Amino acid sequence: MPTSSEVPVVLPAHLHARPAGALVRAAAGFASTVEVVHGEKSANARGVLGLMGLGALAGDTVIVRATGDDAEEAAKSVAEVLRTAE
Amino acid sequence: MADLVGIVLVSHSEQLAHGLRELVLQVATPDVAVEVAGGTDDGSLGTSYDRISAAIDRADRGGGVVVLTDLGSAVLTTRTVLEDRGDEHPPVLVDAPFVEGAVAAAVLAGTGADLDTVVAAATEARDAHKF
Repeated sequence: MPTSSEVPVVLPAHLHARPAGALVRAAAGFASTVEVVHGEKSANARGVLGLMGLGALAGDTVIVRATGDDAEEAAKSVAEVLRTAE
Repeated sequence: MADLVGIVLVSHSEQLAHGLRELVLQVATPDVAVEVAGGTDDGSLGTSYDRISAAIDRADRGGGVVVLTDLGSAVLTTRTVLEDRGDEHPPVLVDAPFVEGAVAAAVLAGTGADLDTVVAAATEARDAHKF
């Protein structure tokens, strides 16, 4: 039964190229579909360009939203990557 | 995990190709094969049939190869190389912006994604907005 999970994160750093790459790698380890929501924009965690295009800056809050069988673990892991980004 | 898809960067400029490779490897995992074919055989501005073919050989780790180009004759020379090689599993020349396409492709290649997925990621870069 697919579930959905959302984890808010206050970004410690801008969501720029390197953190976006790390996020894609983290999300790829899960079966769930992972999205990052920033204001009215959202981006699939498979696309590094979409994530950079969110324009999410240090101090902004984004929501990591996962949908799928392993949604809870996926959202948690991806949120952790964002929380520890430099 | 299956063999990773390799990436080839074809540019008129040796420096541009190497600079992009450096950038791409910062964003993607360093275990992705990102190979460059920049400049002519003597390193001046232009494209080299031999450098492109050699870069494809180096990038091929069994998972397939995606080729990105900068401008004009880089596309033409690459097409000639691909036709002449007649590979059983031909490298895929992608119509995408050089920088964005390379970054998107390499990041997905680093996750172990298959050739079709990496090609799709690079192609989607055509519609990606920087902001």
